[in-house]
Amino acid sequence: MTLRRFSLMSTSSEGFAGAPRAAQPTPLSQAAELGIIQRLTQDGELIGDDPPAMDPGVARRIYETMVTTRLIDERGWELQRSGRVEFWIPMRGQEASHVASAAAYDLEDWVFLASREAGVMLWRDAPLVQLFAQIFGRADEPLRGRRLPLLFGDRSRNIVPCMTQVGAYIPHAAGAAWASRLQGEQRAFIVYFGDGATSRGEFHSAMNFAGIHRPPIVFFCQNNGWAVSTPNSVQTATETFAEKSAAYGLPGVRVDGNDFLAVYETTARLRERSISEGPTLLESITYRLGFHTSSDNPDLYRTTDEAASWQEWDPITRARRFLERYDAWDADQDEALISTRRSQIGEAISAAEKLPKPSPEDQFSDLFATPNRMVEEQRVQLIDDLNGATP
Amino acid sequence: MTEYTVLEAITAAMSDAMTADRSVVVLGEDVGVSGGIFRATQGLQQEFGPERIIDTPLDEKGIVAHAIGMGLYGLRPVVEVQFSGFIHDAFEQIMFCGSKYRWLTGGEYSCPMVLRAPSYGGIKGGFWHSQSPEAYFLHGGGIKVLTPTTPEDCYRSLLAAIADPDPVLVIEPVPLYRSLRGEFERDGVPIELGTARTVREGSDVTILTWGPQVLQVTAVTESMAAEGSARCEVLDLRSLVPLDLDTIVKSVRRTGRVLIVHEAARSGGFGAELATLIQHKAFGWLHAPIERVTGHDVPYNFSTGDEFYRPDPVRIRAGITRLMEFEF
Repeated sequence: MTLRRFSLMSTSSEGFAGAPRAAQPTPLSQAAELGIIQRLTQDGELIGDDPPAMDPGVARRIYETMVTTRLIDERGWELQRSGRVEFWIPMRGQEASHVASAAAYDLEDWVFLASREAGVMLWRDAPLVQLFAQIFGRADEPLRGRRLPLLFGDRSRNIVPCMTQVGAYIPHAAGAAWASRLQGEQRAFIVYFGDGATSRGEFHSAMNFAGIHRPPIVFFCQNNGWAVSTPNSVQTATETFAEKSAAYGLPGVRVDGNDFLAVYETTARLRERSISEGPTLLESITYRLGFHTSSDNPDLYRTTDEAASWQEWDPITRARRFLERYDAWDADQDEALISTRRSQIGEAISAAEKLPKPSPEDQFSDLFATPNRMVEEQRVQLIDDLNGATP
Repeated sequence: MTEYTVLEAITAAMSDAMTADRSVVVLGEDVGVSGGIFRATQGLQQEFGPERIIDTPLDEKGIVAHAIGMGLYGLRPVVEVQFSGFIHDAFEQIMFCGSKYRWLTGGEYSCPMVLRAPSYGGIKGGFWHSQSPEAYFLHGGGIKVLTPTTPEDCYRSLLAAIADPDPVLVIEPVPLYRSLRGEFERDGVPIELGTARTVREGSDVTILTWGPQVLQVTAVTESMAAEGSARCEVLDLRSLVPLDLDTIVKSVRRTGRVLIVHEAARSGGFGAELATLIQHKAFGWLHAPIERVTGHDVPYNFSTGDEFYRPDPVRIRAGITRLMEFEF
């Protein structure tokens, strides 16, 4: 009986033996049919009659931030591979999704990050050296080197770093938004999370509370196709992530996450709505072109064909083509941007790497607002032991 | 001075804190219209409105997680966890999020938040409604754990918890909610956290305890003192984090004998930590091995009653006698 069952399973489940899953076609080529908001073709041509609701200056700045994010990602990957950085979380392919959405928010609005959103830090003017100080785990950055590389946060910029348990922080963002509204403010909130996070209990908690109490927030689900090796089809039986909102009495919207104009316009509209009417679940359809992290190997679970089909929808290429069509950008500017940013990144890396690491004592601060006696005794003991002072 | 039950003292603390500070909000299951299943928030929604006394969905994890966000944003949320047996759904939120924001962000963000956890057995509640969960929250840091017992201590501890800039778990004594009364001045003055209360003085044995066990222990030690069999010093710890180690050590160095009494299961309970701290700070003063009278390493029981699970006068007396009769 057991044997029979085993043989049935192993012949009927495609991919069960450990081969990569069959490539899923990108839904971006059928956006209209699938109800996905899309404003740019693959070639950066405007879709629809409405003029872009995006100032050309903003458009250029989003593009520049996307390019900088890509360059940081490329350089950081090399640093990790050469052993100078402990860990890396690739962002390639998701630049429009997070930068253009962040651009739709005011600087006094609060942002709760996931892990692939370095561009949000850049958009909010965090200096490159601060980013690399965080990446190198140096003491002189807001989080004092306590978080893995790329898990950024910065109180002065209203950016809250993620709690690493995927999705656990979604209700923190909603709770903060709720608190803001209770205090009579007009501030808006956005929280980033991935497709995998929608399986967590906290996604349910946040959606359920939000349907009732209507905090001013956009739940920004970056559906990048894969949660480590788990594709959407193994994450949920629903066709989309956006439709989950219906169960909570909230609207759900799908946007082409590789289309910076669509992301910007849609997020800006939903930001406004969050203040006047309430929250929305926004599914930004994008793709993680790189590894899950530097510890991953995507060849085990997905085909290179799939990534190649998404490469054709590269958000940076599309944005550049769009800007060029409107004479807002040209090849010379592009070359200058890349070369300037490359050298700025190089300088930031050199400067950040020279910064001191936290001292062994640093771990004992910030557990409580005031020092705790037990922790203080442990600190003293460590220092004594390190100094060979213990008899 | 007015007399209050434990429950009235808790309600008074929330009411006074909300009057004094507009950022204090209360949220939990059934806390609004009905005033909570124990009536700890009775009348508060009428007084402070539904935006500050918030009825939530039935979702402990969600309630705590939203309170964390409120705390991050500068409110002072007070969560009623209906029974502490239900708090574990929120364990990750408490121990891996709320209690760690300050440290994980290098002090950039903090998360003031009070979790009121109705606890302990003796109410015929069965396993889920009878829990003494303090030890789970003492490991890993970032959250204070208070265990007040008397009406006055419950009032002042809750005020201190609400004023504290970090997360605080208040383990409340359900079996004493209505049965224990005490007088105090309702003056809005919080307790100084980390101060044990010497319930009675004695020179033979130091007994460390908290929660409803304080009453049982006191009764046993009073009768043993009257008999002349043992003069026990009883310390009601009131707060486990921060811990009043100085008062404990001073007492132990005087008596040389230690009994720890807690309702929670023995293995890995806070008694184990206390015993280690004491033997480190007062090793040369001890006349006998440190004794523990605790709940057993089994769940709280229902049909046979939990009186054979929780420490009772017979077992407390036996523990004291073992200490008094110990010979090297």
